[in-house]
Amino acid sequence: MFPTPSFVERVSTDLQRDLLAFLPELILCATIVALLLARLVTPLSRKHLGSFALLASGCALAFAICFWPERSAPIGSVPLSGNVEGFSSLLVFDTFGLYLRVFLLVFLCCSLWLSLLTGIPDAEDSADYYTLVIGGILGMMLMASANHLLMAFVAVEMASVPSYALAGFLKGRRQGSEAALKYVVYGASASGVMLYGISLLAGTFGTGSMPLISRAVAVASLGEGPTLPVLAGSICILIGLGFKLSAVPFHFWCPDVFSGAAAEVGAFLSVASKAAALALTARFLFVFSGSSRTGPDDLSGSALALGWAFMAAVTATFGNLAALAQTNIKRMLAYSTIAHAGIMMMALVAVGPRSVGPLLYYISGYLLMNLGAFAIVALVRNRTGSENLDAFRGLIRRAPLLAVGMSIFLLSLLGMPPLVGFAAKFQVFAVLYETGRDLGGHDGMIAWVYFGLLVVAALNTAISAGYYLKLVKVMTLEDPADPSPIRVSIGSGALVSILAGLVLAAGVFWNPLTQYANRASQSFDLAPKFEKPAKIPKDAVRPAIGPKGKIK
Amino acid sequence: MSLDVVLFTAIASAIAFSALAVVFSRNIVRSALWLLFTLIGVSLLYFLLGAEFVGATQLIVYVGGTMVLVVFGVMLTAQQQFLKIRIRPQEWLVAGILASALFVLLVTTSFHLGEGKNSPPAEPMPGSGPLGVGFLTQYLLPFEIISVHLLVVLIGAAYLARAKRRPGGNRD
Repeated sequence: MFPTPSFVERVSTDLQRDLLAFLPELILCATIVALLLARLVTPLSRKHLGSFALLASGCALAFAICFWPERSAPIGSVPLSGNVEGFSSLLVFDTFGLYLRVFLLVFLCCSLWLSLLTGIPDAEDSADYYTLVIGGILGMMLMASANHLLMAFVAVEMASVPSYALAGFLKGRRQGSEAALKYVVYGASASGVMLYGISLLAGTFGTGSMPLISRAVAVASLGEGPTLPVLAGSICILIGLGFKLSAVPFHFWCPDVFSGAAAEVGAFLSVASKAAALALTARFLFVFSGSSRTGPDDLSGSALALGWAFMAAVTATFGNLAALAQTNIKRMLAYSTIAHAGIMMMALVAVGPRSVGPLLYYISGYLLMNLGAFAIVALVRNRTGSENLDAFRGLIRRAPLLAVGMSIFLLSLLGMPPLVGFAAKFQVFAVLYETGRDLGGHDGMIAWVYFGLLVVAALNTAISAGYYLKLVKVMTLEDPADPSPIRVSIGSGALVSILAGLVLAAGVFWNPLTQYANRASQSFDLAPKFEKPAKIPKDAVRPAIGPKGKIK
Repeated sequence: MSLDVVLFTAIASAIAFSALAVVFSRNIVRSALWLLFTLIGVSLLYFLLGAEFVGATQLIVYVGGTMVLVVFGVMLTAQQQFLKIRIRPQEWLVAGILASALFVLLVTTSFHLGEGKNSPPAEPMPGSGPLGVGFLTQYLLPFEIISVHLLVVLIGAAYLARAKRRPGGNRD
């Protein structure tokens, strides 16, 4: 029962390597503890801890960038395609995960900077707010690199539960509390459904490890195809992920939560949470598309893809149609988030390196433009006390910088060239077209699904012009009810200008970001191979917890 | 019929009955108490399966800890208007449809579970020793990271529960 010395030695060498690769996450953990301890020290107990949190996240970001695959890698080396498994293969370090880790940390830094500028939280609540935000980001980073269903579930919970508290962060407001409560109830049921799915899959395959499951699915697809428990399990997991993505019909929480929570929290939920959920979905769908690459006439892969395509199309269309009628800007942005989630889900219909690159580009562009839009909503709210369309009336006369910035972000969300939104949408459209064209040869029906999605996506862009351009018109062409100018602090101006500049720059020069995204997507290229499924080792389907399996 | 089957039937029906009672009682305190029996029943199922460690954990954590908190929470917050739960017919309808869909899905899939496998594994469930080694070796990451998660959640809960000292404090 007790481990031998050689076993302990091997475990500790592995652990050292893994912990080194895990350094950014460890820094965040330490920051959480430090934020709490700071409250015990009298001189710090009343201080605003935002700058400390920002500094620590900056540190984590620097380390995450240091671990970029092509640099000197303390992890050993993360290969460009394929991956390195860490923590006894519970996590996976690959370019995809490392890209998203950097992305999430960039978002964390931007969002902490924004919170310093807008004054939510105040000094008294700052420790709590930053603990929740950093804790949530930590969960999302784990979501992006989960390699085991157990880890995936833990990570989803780590990302969700702080979000529930953040949704109700503005206390004493009925709307905020209602939003938090709704979010908790929906979120708990979605987690429950996801857990059902996970236990079905783990029970069927005798393991939670995603590569092993992928292999077993591939083997099964050569025989009679996936059994009912596997299908039911994967559908349950996709329902749980669909909730995180606010995909229709699991989107009910999204508008209420966004309009009830502070705009800063809205940015957190719409950018970081979506990105992490998409990453996990990509990993998960990839596990199940293992089957579809064994043969073109496989049903399960395409059935799953068909359902996913339908959900994506409905999500995008519903989000855009519902956004047309909104007068509260945060509510409008919530529906816009749903619509964008739909477009990003479309990119995942064809899971593979070709579609993951554009998806990563889209997510990165979405960070810039959506964070910018929410930042301006927060800044305008601080000065006018309102988040309705009326507060933006004639904004160009009151705060030209904010109005111009907001117009850039909105036009980018719409997908106007030469902004980043156009580049992102274009790449997703191109993937849909190319996949459809390539499939046209041997599978006409599926090819039409891609062309259909392309049409839906194009129509959606046209619909979304309705509300984005309406807001631009209200800001620029109409007269303000209260013409007094809005004072914009230097820091806020800098944040808005930097984000707007990046939206423009990344839209004009796609190449650097596209290259990074495409390189990151390479890890989806070669991961599992199924040339000779007959040689799958017997222990591929072995109980995860067995007395013999513990100590190898 | 072996003893296993008899015991399982007895425990499972007790769990099902108390779970239904949780849903159908109008009084929230009674619901909480029925939940206690559901959780005890689940821990008995674990014991029946030979997973003593999980069963004991279930007893200690859920029955001993969580349930006491739930009952206290219910009693502290159950004011006059919250004491009785009123459910409108349309809520029954929607919840009923969703729940029965999930029920049908789970029942049909559980009859297909274990298809193609000959026999259950003969090895006994690992005791606390291998589990403990597993926590510190193979499953070290979730074991440790959950403590960070619990810390964060604890702070979130404390934040939501505590009163703001200075309402509308000095916002910039």
